[in-house]
Amino acid sequence: MAIANGVSTVADHTDTESSSTVSTTTRPEVRNVSEVSLSTTAQTADSPDDSAPTVYDIEDLGVYYGDFKAVRDATLTIRQHEITAFIGPSGCGKTTVLRCLNRMNDFIDTARVEGTVLYHGVDLYDPKVNSTEVRRRIGMVFQKPNPFPKSIYDNVAYGPRIAGMKKKSELDGVVEKALRGAALWDEVHNRLDASGMSLSGGQQQRLCIARAIAVDPEVILMDEPCSSLDPIATSRIEELMQEIKREYTIVIVTHNMQQAARVSDRTAFFITEINKESDRRTGVLVEFNPTEKIFSNPDDERTEQYVTGRFG
Amino acid sequence: MSSDTELHVPEEEAHGDLRRGFHHELDDIRDDIAKLGAIVTENIPRATDILLNQDLDGAEKLIVGDDEIDVAALALEERCYSLIALQAPVASDLRKVVAAMRIIAEVERSADLTKNLCKAARRIYGHPLNPAIRGIIQKMGDQATTLFKEATESYLAGDATRAAAIDDMDSYLDDLQREFMRTIFESHEAAKSSIDLQVAVQLAVVARFFERIGDHAVNIGERTQYLVTGLVRESLGAARHASRQAAGESE
Repeated sequence: MAIANGVSTVADHTDTESSSTVSTTTRPEVRNVSEVSLSTTAQTADSPDDSAPTVYDIEDLGVYYGDFKAVRDATLTIRQHEITAFIGPSGCGKTTVLRCLNRMNDFIDTARVEGTVLYHGVDLYDPKVNSTEVRRRIGMVFQKPNPFPKSIYDNVAYGPRIAGMKKKSELDGVVEKALRGAALWDEVHNRLDASGMSLSGGQQQRLCIARAIAVDPEVILMDEPCSSLDPIATSRIEELMQEIKREYTIVIVTHNMQQAARVSDRTAFFITEINKESDRRTGVLVEFNPTEKIFSNPDDERTEQYVTGRFG
Repeated sequence: MSSDTELHVPEEEAHGDLRRGFHHELDDIRDDIAKLGAIVTENIPRATDILLNQDLDGAEKLIVGDDEIDVAALALEERCYSLIALQAPVASDLRKVVAAMRIIAEVERSADLTKNLCKAARRIYGHPLNPAIRGIIQKMGDQATTLFKEATESYLAGDATRAAAIDDMDSYLDDLQREFMRTIFESHEAAKSSIDLQVAVQLAVVARFFERIGDHAVNIGERTQYLVTGLVRESLGAARHASRQAAGESE
């Protein structure tokens, strides 16, 4: 018996009825727990590493649409090779903050950002920063899978082609690597010419992840990537996130609190503040902590009420 | 948050709790555990009286009654399992379920100990106990009752401060146990030995039962503190291990 060295089993005794001869058996030495490999450190292994390099330093971020303030005073740090989840009720500004991380808000004319979003120490909103380059480095996966109406191959090759890659052999390599990275290769390698739209919802979403990672980004932003998927497709994506976080940094907005609990290292909880006089609703970051903390013993009473469904 | 703002709650949620049934069941489980705790709290002085008065009928009744406590404890445990399976509790809800499961076991075990006191009463039947022995048994019974009452009530009220005091109260019970052991020896060694060896051994075990009930009350207090604060108290053993590790590393 591997677990209890030298300890004879009950069966041994009953077989031989040798209880009177116990003294002749070799007694095992006393063993301490430290001599047996127990995973007693599991608890600490789960908590994220505060010394991990910073990717984003977001300070006092406020976002306006015209004169309407959608989010105020969001301050948080996003670290490398971690999955950061944004949770909160509808209208709390979590998607707005996510869209600030690769300047997607640039496409909205009235949107204005105040405060700082530092990406590796560089102000993302500095006029000198090239927003196209920002979006190459920081990819995005949307709520609804949105493959281009093109072949699977062309969907994935789209980004690299725009970036100037022309050689077929090079493109082939990138497409295969990205599809493998998105755990889709085995399912589609023999029909790369088929339309991306012919895939199932879960496969389409993985195709979009493949498309995002084909340009070799550093960060992948995901806006409710599983909300239109069934549980099996959802767990595939979640598993995929765990695999690719070794190479990328992931920020995910999710309505599914259990998903945030399952996949993320840190969680930011946002809430909507309502101004009685103007009836304006502004998103506020309530708490940003390791996910384990948010779902076991959060610092803020409002987080506690939200995660336990005692909202209001 | 500034005073002109308040938490925004969508209309359909404005009446508060989104998981009312689940939270109601959590409260129900706690109340039922507290009821079992109250039965045990009452059974401790009963068992003490049974012991002192050599009440065989009372002993029989309490011993049989313990089976019902076991049934109730099992049913409560199963209710906790189904909450975990069906409701995926988190944060304070999870602590409530986990604390409930631990506390059920403490209450159930304490009920067993009152049963054991009654069995001991049967074994010492016919042997009169001297006043010194009787006095300390009474004191141990009273103190164990107080501890268990405090434990049950602080759990029911979710009162971490009150729960934290139980540990201190337990040291008096421990002192009584030591005093009792001395008294047993003295009684046995007295020139006119007033208790024989068999009775002495039974009495030593009785002291142990009271002392264990106190320990279970302390455990309930610790679980109540965990439930409220989310912190698991470091055990004495773990603290000693940590200081030994620290000492080893500094060498």
